[in-house]
Amino acid sequence: MKIVYRCFLQMMRTIRHDMMLFAVCLGPVLCGMLIKFGIPFLESFLCIQLQKKTFLAPYYGLLDVFFAMLASVLFCFAAAMVVLEETDDKVIRYLFVTGLGKKGYLISRFGIPSGIAFVFTLILLRIFSLTKPGITELLLLGLSGTCMGLIIALMVVVFSTNKLEGMAITKLSTVIMLGGVAPYFVEHPVKYLLAPLSSFWMGKGMLEDSLWSFLISLMVSVIWIVVLFIKFQKKIA
Amino acid sequence: MRLRNLILWDIRFQAKYGFYFLYAVLTVLYVVLLFALPMDLRRKAAAILIFSDPAAMGMFFMGAVILLEKSQKIPCAFAVSPVKAAEYILAEVISFGAISEIVALVIAVAAGVSNLPGVLIGTLFSSVMFTLLGMIVAAKIKSLNQFVLGTVPFEIICFVPAILYLFGMLPEWMQYVPQVWCMGLIAQIDQSIMGIVWYAMLILLLFFVAYRNIERMWNSMGGAKL
Repeated sequence: MKIVYRCFLQMMRTIRHDMMLFAVCLGPVLCGMLIKFGIPFLESFLCIQLQKKTFLAPYYGLLDVFFAMLASVLFCFAAAMVVLEETDDKVIRYLFVTGLGKKGYLISRFGIPSGIAFVFTLILLRIFSLTKPGITELLLLGLSGTCMGLIIALMVVVFSTNKLEGMAITKLSTVIMLGGVAPYFVEHPVKYLLAPLSSFWMGKGMLEDSLWSFLISLMVSVIWIVVLFIKFQKKIA
Repeated sequence: MRLRNLILWDIRFQAKYGFYFLYAVLTVLYVVLLFALPMDLRRKAAAILIFSDPAAMGMFFMGAVILLEKSQKIPCAFAVSPVKAAEYILAEVISFGAISEIVALVIAVAAGVSNLPGVLIGTLFSSVMFTLLGMIVAAKIKSLNQFVLGTVPFEIICFVPAILYLFGMLPEWMQYVPQVWCMGLIAQIDQSIMGIVWYAMLILLLFFVAYRNIERMWNSMGGAKL
């Protein structure tokens, strides 16, 4: 475990050196402050301007869904970029033959960052959430958001063989976060085409205040994660 | 001839690493998204999509392109070849501009935009600006995380005023700001011809900075001054 922890610290040093650590920690806090203080202000401004009772308020839950994914996606994205660099520079193969091994490498690069992202997300959601979810909802939302970050990071490292492909996959994979929008804006049953995306169930869970939807979101996430892990293990075999 | 070869090489490079496939997938997604939106929102959404993605793709991908070239020691080859930094920059700008134009055309047609030449000109102008910005940042970085972080201020400066302008939340004089002017062209908002003067000045400045950064990068490959 000590070697895994050291490997994780080495990655954190790389990220800190790039100032990415600063951005990963500060970005969600700034975004949270913007949501907490800016959005209600904008809501009252727009309601006066457009002479409506509500304008943005019905979508506060959707903002929380995206906010729940933000910290985790940033943490896991930074880790994925390090993995991409290590794959590109062929360092990854050398790490596997050390005492760290494949399992230790995966824990240090994805497991620990996801755990930290989960705790960070819970704290941020508790402070900045506009809908003030209950404890169970908060936990499920945080867990689903963390899974989404892990899925995106795994997609990047599984489907790309170099930095350039990695950036392309990053762009494509972030689209899967948009599934949360469908329950809010699409009423037609065609929206269920997005059911294989866990973000869709997160959006549905927030909109309908349904814990079942969050549980489905987690189940969908687990399927994605298992499939991507198997693919990643095959890739690095 | 050299420029033509560089452009073709860039296009092959982009095709090999999946740019065309990626943008084919993204274009389909964007078109589906546009059709899911009400008609009155479609054109504004198309303008935002075009400005923030195909037009800005150079800024998003330039870091990865240059880092990959560095890992393949391509800048070392450029440094000792007759290729000039200006030709390299032009080739990147043209090759990225070509994909931007194709994707923007499909999105604009899907959104039912009537003035297609206006959209294409706006996309091309935006693409040149974003690719040069991406190149300026990319020539100075050592990792992808540095690049992602380095482009954030430019993304904020470029996207926020442009989107606010689209929704009429900026004063009239702001239309002369180059990125806002480009968004105006894409969104088919009546634009003053004077905007092109500021845009041209910005592009000249960006080209000069990109040229200097690329020259420096080529001349200092491998930690030694060539």
